[in-house]
Amino acid sequence: MLTVVLFFLFFSLFLYVLLAGADFGGGIIELFSSPKNQEKTKQTIYRVMGPIWEANHIWIIILIVILWIGFPQYFNIFVVYLHIPITLMLLGITIRGLAFIFRHYDAVKGRSQGSYNALFKLGSILSPLFLGVIFGGLVGGNINLFSENHNLSFKEIYIDGWFNVFSVLIGVFYIALCAFIASNFLIGEADDEDELNLYRKKASYSTIILVFIGLVILAYGYFNEIDFVIDFIENKYSIIAVAISGIVLIPLWKMIKLKRKAWARILAGVQVLLVVSAAMLAHFPDVIITSTKEISILDGVAPDSVIQVLGIALLIGGAIILPGLYHLMKSFQLIKLFK
Amino acid sequence: MENLEAARLQMAITLIFHIVFACIGMVMPFFMVISHYKWLKTRKEIYLKLTKAWQRGVAIFFVTGAVSGTALSFELGLLWPEFMKHAGPIIGMPFSLEGAAFFVEAIALGFYLYGWKKLPEKFHWFTGVIIGISGVMSGILVVAANGWMNSPSGFTYENGVFSDINPIEAMLNGAWFTQALHMTLAAFVATGFAVAGIHAYQVYKGKNVELHKKAFRIAIIFAAVAALLQPISGDISAKDVAERQPAKLAALEAHYETEKGAPLYIGGIVDEEKQEVTHKIEIPKALSFLAFGDFDAEVKGLNDFPEDEQPPVAIVHYAFQIMVGIGTLLAIVGLFYLLSLKWKKWQNHRKFWLLFTLMAPLGYIALEAGWIVTEVGRQPWIIYQVMKTKDAVTPMPGIFYSLITYTGMYIVLTCVVSWLLARQIKVLNQNED
Repeated sequence: MLTVVLFFLFFSLFLYVLLAGADFGGGIIELFSSPKNQEKTKQTIYRVMGPIWEANHIWIIILIVILWIGFPQYFNIFVVYLHIPITLMLLGITIRGLAFIFRHYDAVKGRSQGSYNALFKLGSILSPLFLGVIFGGLVGGNINLFSENHNLSFKEIYIDGWFNVFSVLIGVFYIALCAFIASNFLIGEADDEDELNLYRKKASYSTIILVFIGLVILAYGYFNEIDFVIDFIENKYSIIAVAISGIVLIPLWKMIKLKRKAWARILAGVQVLLVVSAAMLAHFPDVIITSTKEISILDGVAPDSVIQVLGIALLIGGAIILPGLYHLMKSFQLIKLFK
Repeated sequence: MENLEAARLQMAITLIFHIVFACIGMVMPFFMVISHYKWLKTRKEIYLKLTKAWQRGVAIFFVTGAVSGTALSFELGLLWPEFMKHAGPIIGMPFSLEGAAFFVEAIALGFYLYGWKKLPEKFHWFTGVIIGISGVMSGILVVAANGWMNSPSGFTYENGVFSDINPIEAMLNGAWFTQALHMTLAAFVATGFAVAGIHAYQVYKGKNVELHKKAFRIAIIFAAVAALLQPISGDISAKDVAERQPAKLAALEAHYETEKGAPLYIGGIVDEEKQEVTHKIEIPKALSFLAFGDFDAEVKGLNDFPEDEQPPVAIVHYAFQIMVGIGTLLAIVGLFYLLSLKWKKWQNHRKFWLLFTLMAPLGYIALEAGWIVTEVGRQPWIIYQVMKTKDAVTPMPGIFYSLITYTGMYIVLTCVVSWLLARQIKVLNQNED
């Protein structure tokens, strides 16, 4: 059953990174568009994402609930030491949710839309930035456990762990990944040649930035001897995953050119799957790296009786939710495989 | 402000807001699908308009609830890491099921909001029903988790170690049913009176009367029936608390001394220093009867509990008085509405609509007061007689700043939502005029 639980943990992480990422990415692309195109992008994003908007953001709740039930010790370190970036991320998510409600449910469409858009874009940057920072904090090797040293200052315990170059780089990487996902999703929705070219351009920029930041992170980590990066490079599964994700870019571009949007979307999804897998595999199961030691997610895993029940609950929940979600996407043509 | 106080206040404020969003998200879908059903049956344009107006309300509250729910699911860990470390696995069952129910709700909402003219009519309507049912399920499951804090079960606790964990037994703890029943009814009372009140006000002002009267009728019938059932559920809850959490009972009745044939105090001013209640109305032996079904039963007073295990008295007593007082009033008003169905002339008076306008906020005030009774009445425990709240709080100092951030966030959220709803109603009325 532990495998089932770990699978769902990974699965909800992947779907959150992908689907919420596509959503954040919409806001990011809006930010980097000319005013004329902003409105168009906004409409398109809403048309595509609208029906599943609510569902996208529930994956993080599922993720967090699995963590606290199944891996309480791990969750404990996570919420104690990364309290500040988690709060900042929540702030980003809230700002975004607020702006979303405003943009779509304000009965009066007036000048105030401008400020809603600004808030939306701000939230779209802040949320993925801090999500990345949190992940960077977990694996960056900068967390100082106060149980090991009682003389640590507030800054050493609660700030140094995540406020550093490596974490911020990971945050920027996730922003680029979001833009990459969204632009690839949008390509399939372009109505005319102009729009298509616009999204293509966005897609190529974000791909270049993504690859570039990825390389910067590897180089920075390698030269600063960050354990996670070194293990990432030395772990053959991670490197294979990254290599494949590089190769997959080629068919992805081909499909985009051929306007096969279903395939383009699947390949973009595969990209994300590979990136997330590479990051997870690099150090599994030691997914917290502090300044002194590595902590396995499996340390202090919940007792068997809990894992059993959780696994069954997830299987039943999955059996209800996933077909429902699939039909929702199909009904509103988010999945156009059978067209 | 001390860390513990700041953390408790932050949790309280977050929950006070979240409960409102969540209850509206739970109950409004039912109003919506009834109006939708009437539209399908009668094909009167006005029901379609009402359904769509309520649908926007449901969507706004769902998104708000989802955002604040996301924050809450992290906050539990951020503020109470020690609690979550031990309790997380034990009460995981209702939370994971709640996650699933919430997800089903989100999927159904996706179908419903975007399904107009795209889905078969009956299926489309049915997705609306699913929103309501899964919403209520979510609510019941979350309350079951809270029930466990009041009535912990499904584990063995020895020397600070939790073992023999049985998540199913923990979910089906002794308090889950009474609490869930009381809360579900409360959600219908509060939201029903609030929605009915808003529409009653529009009728009172003479704006778009036909539509608002129809809306009022749908909402008030739920509210009236639930309000009449609520005292029965309240009685079950009181007997439950009397048996399981005598200190809470003593606090909510502000009884310091143990006595047989204890009187019921109505109102009164509590002096915690002097341990006395002045200016109260006393009904002899009533408390013993209400709590134990026996006029001479012994009710334990607060002084029988160690000082460090006594909950704050004044706030719990006042909150309880407010809850019961409003609950009684709303039951009477609910009955009054049901009678007005027979004596239809009553509804022609403007004062009729003014009365229901004034009732609008009361249900929510009672609901919040009820949660204050449950939560503050359980103090100093976070898990009743197992873990104290002060031992669960985060070691990170400076929670005061977090308190300010979250409070600000929720105030903005509430202002925004209220403002948007006001704009919705304004536009709805304009289109008609």
